[in-house]
Amino acid sequence: MTYNVVLIVPTGIGAAIGGYAGDALPVARAMSQICDRLITHPNVMNGAQLYWPISNALYVEGYGLDQFAKGKWGLQPDQQNRVGLIFDQGIEPELRSRHLQVADATRATLGLNLTDYVITDQPLNVELRTADSGTSWGTIGNPDSLLRAAENLINETQSNAIAVISRFPDDVDATVLTDYRHGSGVDPLSGAEAVISHLIVRQFQIPAAHAPALSPLPLDPEISPRSAAEEIGYTFLPCVLVGLSRAPQFVQQPTLDSIWSKQVNALVIPATAAGGSATLSLTQQNCLIIAVEENHTLLQVAPEPLGIKAIRVNSYLEAIGVLVAHRSGINLDCFRPNLSSLHPLS
Amino acid sequence: MTTHFITAEIDLQESPIKLQAAIEAELEKRGEPLRWAIASVDTEKQTAQVEAIVTTK
Repeated sequence: MTYNVVLIVPTGIGAAIGGYAGDALPVARAMSQICDRLITHPNVMNGAQLYWPISNALYVEGYGLDQFAKGKWGLQPDQQNRVGLIFDQGIEPELRSRHLQVADATRATLGLNLTDYVITDQPLNVELRTADSGTSWGTIGNPDSLLRAAENLINETQSNAIAVISRFPDDVDATVLTDYRHGSGVDPLSGAEAVISHLIVRQFQIPAAHAPALSPLPLDPEISPRSAAEEIGYTFLPCVLVGLSRAPQFVQQPTLDSIWSKQVNALVIPATAAGGSATLSLTQQNCLIIAVEENHTLLQVAPEPLGIKAIRVNSYLEAIGVLVAHRSGINLDCFRPNLSSLHPLS
Repeated sequence: MTTHFITAEIDLQESPIKLQAAIEAELEKRGEPLRWAIASVDTEKQTAQVEAIVTTK
């Protein structure tokens, strides 16, 4: 009997833990120690230049995670993917060279299998947007160009995972950017990043992830440790390539070792961000839902008004304790000082 | 294809799965849903405010 956990920290909602530069990765590392499979997503695992290969973690892009949670797609683990790269035509040659050097470095130094790359036939024209809720979103000016590039890449190189590097605007609101670099507020880029990878995964049903291409920022001595991983180098690409190189493939029919949503034993979410598609789907499974209060976000979407029965805990450390007890089949009520007596049925 | 950011107000339902179905049905009137989330809940009005990206051809 395996024990599988889904860990979700939605992107672009200002999560106190996981809302910055891969700063939920320590949570994922710890959680992976007490389950057979940890199913999580790029926002948790991507620390720009930094990453940590977790042997039993499944790196699943958000659209694929939603389909998995619905039971429509399964995850085929233990992959050795050929990762193809798509470059936005809007990226300047020097900035593209920086990214190509990173890609070559992951081949030479980490041994990743990358294919030749494709440049989109039009600039993608990414536009950032902040919703009334304060969360970050975005739209893509030329999504068809992105999808043509992906189709070309898959057909010409037999890539089975895709990294997209697109030019993001440098003129992000100065206050928003400073807040983010100082470890508060919302990642202004991440909502648009998710849209790009969702488009690829929806169309081609293969793993995809995104790295934004940006001009280097001036040195700021007040950078938060939670954001600092994005200050190390010229690109955010290494974590994406490492994650995709072992990302599970999506399958539409059960295979010998594929994993399906009915095999998920527990889901861990921030307590104020219960309104995502994957969370609503997993309530239908016999799955323990743990809501972490300390990981506050910009949102106030609690599980209870949505009809979700969740166990509330204060911290991720407490969540890990709950997972250990749940895995062991131990009644969680025993961990509270007052345990009521049994009563006869009326 | 065009990507659009939209918002929608959905009545809360008796179960999370029915709520999910109601959200997706509403979004499908405006395009093909790509990514969405409930951004807030009005417990007095018993509604959920949804933010979403949909695509249209």
